[in-house]
Amino acid sequence: MIVERDVVVVGGGPAGLTAAARLASAGLTVTILDEQPELGGQYYRRPAPEVARRWGDHRREGGELIAEARAAGVECRPGHLVWGLADDGRTLLAEDAAGSPVRLRGRAIVLATGAYERAFPFPGWQLPGVTTPGFAQHLAASDHTPVGERVVLAGSGPFLLPVACSLLALGVKVAGIAEAGTPYRLGRRALGALRHPARLRELAGYVARLARARVPIWQGTVVLRADGRDRVSAVTLAAAARPGLAVRTVEVDALCVGYGFRPQTDLARMLGCEVVTDAATGDAIPVTDAAGRSSRPDVYVVGEAAGIGGAHLAKARGLAAAHAILTRETGHPTPPAEARALARLGHFTALTDALYPSPAQLLDLLLPALPDSTLACRCESVTVGEIRAEATGDVNAAKARTRAGMGPCQGRVCGFAVAGLAGGDTVFPARVPVRPVRISTLLELAAEGETA
Amino acid sequence: MTRTATIIVDDRPVTAVAGVSLTAALVGDRRWALRRNPVDGGPRGPFCGMGVCFECEVTVDGVPSVRACLTRIRPGMRVDTGAPDDR
Repeated sequence: MIVERDVVVVGGGPAGLTAAARLASAGLTVTILDEQPELGGQYYRRPAPEVARRWGDHRREGGELIAEARAAGVECRPGHLVWGLADDGRTLLAEDAAGSPVRLRGRAIVLATGAYERAFPFPGWQLPGVTTPGFAQHLAASDHTPVGERVVLAGSGPFLLPVACSLLALGVKVAGIAEAGTPYRLGRRALGALRHPARLRELAGYVARLARARVPIWQGTVVLRADGRDRVSAVTLAAAARPGLAVRTVEVDALCVGYGFRPQTDLARMLGCEVVTDAATGDAIPVTDAAGRSSRPDVYVVGEAAGIGGAHLAKARGLAAAHAILTRETGHPTPPAEARALARLGHFTALTDALYPSPAQLLDLLLPALPDSTLACRCESVTVGEIRAEATGDVNAAKARTRAGMGPCQGRVCGFAVAGLAGGDTVFPARVPVRPVRISTLLELAAEGETA
Repeated sequence: MTRTATIIVDDRPVTAVAGVSLTAALVGDRRWALRRNPVDGGPRGPFCGMGVCFECEVTVDGVPSVRACLTRIRPGMRVDTGAPDDR
């Protein structure tokens, strides 16, 4: 089956939904796809209906935005994984939830593929019960299920705080938060961030909630290792300044570690959009104009996939791309008030980044103390030492020799650390398929091609 | 009353709130090890919860390599983990 539309939107989070709803309401034919079983993306992830009925919808506006897109006539295809690109360079290859192939062509393609969490290895991180903070948050908000009974959160960044609060609301004992940086004290950087008081107020609210529950925030503290047999049972922490030296061991039944978010750019790279390395984060970000238009004139990249900035900015970017496409397709200029609002986007930067260590600083902090025996690539079970032995500054050579980053996750989990260990580019090349795809899907696709 | 659903995990019934993610049903049942890593044989469980890491792959109603975090439970769903004795 080939789906032909004015616009194909990949990713059903805040940015993709906003773009799709605006485009369809102006009369364009729009299909939106998402890998998840329901639209909403990670930020607007829909709670199970029974969870919403009993405990409420944590982000009601997400449901409203999905309803708005549907009402505008957007064809919604959740449960669809976009994994490849046909030889013509413009037909997207997807599979539906049943594993049947779906091909899609759009006069314009909007990539709103979001972000994923930045992970970093430590001894024992492959143990069941060690997760990302995002997993704990989804379990709490969408499924009303605590990730554990006694939990430590660790890593860096503001996201650890709301996750801890979500766990407290479920009655979980949050034994502590280990933050690699020292953001929660007044210094020159913190004072600089006061220019963005709304965001700081939000953080202060979380900190106050955690203080009331007597949850310690151990600043300048990193995970030294996790221990357990078939599930994590303890975490040992170290001072970031002396990362090899244990300062505290805490008994836990879940440990959630993350270092913020990385843009998910594999489809943009697969489509040949130019990407650059972001100077501040070291992550690949697509080159776009203010409306999200990439180096490929028919491809727009919006939301977190274009750079981490939060849901508000993601929606604004989605709207900007929709207006640019509408102007191109229909000749209608962007209404002046909306154009002014979009122009202000340039001033809306990552507000709190300055408070936390940058990804480059994290690598400097964490890499030297990492033991050679630590698993670096979880999929292919490759150790830190094996990658160090191949560290020639060419991450692709190190991958080829060790198989690190070549398993099902394609380096999304280990890529940051493997690149830091091997040297060279921090983002792996995007290869088709960008996600594992069923052989039966490929066979069916091939059969379709013969009869087409 | 909270509506629940019962699924069959490795031939044993597991009951959870209706419609939650399969990872939530498994975690709620303290069933963390879902598979063994094909290279080193070690137990693995859900990690990212959003379809990125592929650590929560299980067999659902006979279909292998289904990510539990992207699957919502349905009554009677049959789930086979790759680590049935690790509970």
